[in-house]
Amino acid sequence: MLQNSIQGISKSIFAVMFLLLMVSNSANALQESDIASQMKTNIDKTTDLLQDKMIQQEEKNLKIFELFDPIFDYSSMSKIALGKNWKKLSSQQKVDFKNVFTQKLKQSYIDKLQLYTDEKVIINKTEKLKRTRIKLHTVLVGKDQDYKIVYKFHRTKKNEEWLIYDVEMIGVSIMKTYRKQFSEFLSSNTFDALIIELNKNITTN
Amino acid sequence: MKVFLVLFLISFNLFAVSPPVSKYLNTTQQKIAIENKSQDSLEDEFDDEFDEDEVEVNDPFSGYNRSMTYFNDVVYTNVLIPVSTGYSEVVHVEIRQGISNMFSNLVFPVRFVNNVLQLKFDNALEETGRFLINSTIGLLGFFDPAKEELEWQAHNEDFGQTLGFYGVGPGPHVVLPFLGPSNIRDAFSIIPDSMLNPTSEYFYDLPFDSSNGIVLNGVFYINKASLHLGEYESLKKDAIDFYPFMRDLYEQNRINEIKE
Repeated sequence: MLQNSIQGISKSIFAVMFLLLMVSNSANALQESDIASQMKTNIDKTTDLLQDKMIQQEEKNLKIFELFDPIFDYSSMSKIALGKNWKKLSSQQKVDFKNVFTQKLKQSYIDKLQLYTDEKVIINKTEKLKRTRIKLHTVLVGKDQDYKIVYKFHRTKKNEEWLIYDVEMIGVSIMKTYRKQFSEFLSSNTFDALIIELNKNITTN
Repeated sequence: MKVFLVLFLISFNLFAVSPPVSKYLNTTQQKIAIENKSQDSLEDEFDDEFDEDEVEVNDPFSGYNRSMTYFNDVVYTNVLIPVSTGYSEVVHVEIRQGISNMFSNLVFPVRFVNNVLQLKFDNALEETGRFLINSTIGLLGFFDPAKEELEWQAHNEDFGQTLGFYGVGPGPHVVLPFLGPSNIRDAFSIIPDSMLNPTSEYFYDLPFDSSNGIVLNGVFYINKASLHLGEYESLKKDAIDFYPFMRDLYEQNRINEIKE
């Protein structure tokens, strides 16, 4: 019996070690407590870059995406944007869509950043909606009005890191607008036509 | 004593040590199973948030709305944007901001009444304080010391939001000439708001003084557009089909404004 309990204890030690291993494995991923501070660092660096007149536009874009690529969940965004149409795609089509949609999102983001002059960004509080969802509330102080921008994070199942799956500007969810547009487009057009449509207007890279 | 100790160890083993381990192993197994299963259906976990694409949009005027969106686009692209671009090159940004502040200060009665109608008395009070301070110290509203010094924020509320607050639905989407996207509820609401709005033509005795309102409105829109140059063009690029895209932006934004 004593042996039994020793076995139990060694089992639990094993479990704790396993747990520690898991935790340390995802240590460099974005943690819940770091969301606000990490985003503040990223946004500060971005506004500094945008105001720096010595750097070429293309180099700026590259540097900005170095900051944001690790925290934007382009895979989930692609799935959300297509909704029920996602399941109908072949795996090759999924890859194609993810690539072109990621480009589209980046292009749109860069277009918006080019409108930036010297506006201040205020990082407000994070709001935990449920175990795997957090909203980060920010405000862009515009020339004649303030814009509420909300970054929506989810915790991935794989690495348990927090990634952005949607951005809301003045109450408009970017993912909702794409989802609606794509479902409307695909109700009367083919998937290939959508890829062609998305390839228009893309100039980066 | 020895028996007690053994019993204690057994119970420790049974209830304190083993169960968590087996529970833990169980959940990891479950987790792995779920993960494998959901590799391809990850969107399911987002479906509670994004299920609205199934909902049919109430849009009986879509034909008219499309034409009006096109008409407005021609007006914005060929008149409003070039004129406000030229204006922005002549008038310094701080003066344009001041003009925008003055207009905003004049529209105080609209915000005040609609805040009161929605029982947002704190906001109505803050609005009143802003109006008093900005009209005097802020030189007829040109400056905004209430916000800069006292952090008193403007609380934009209009009659459409008031109706929404009391549960009135938006009704069909309507694109208005020059003004852009709206819906039946919000378009109707322009009338009561205009009666409280000194910059609107309805505020004056019709028809004699109505030209004042029209000129003021012209200045208002050109000045406003000059503070938002490039935004319209950038939005247009995000759209696959411009009209439903704008309709969606408008309705999502209004739902959010009513909620706040």
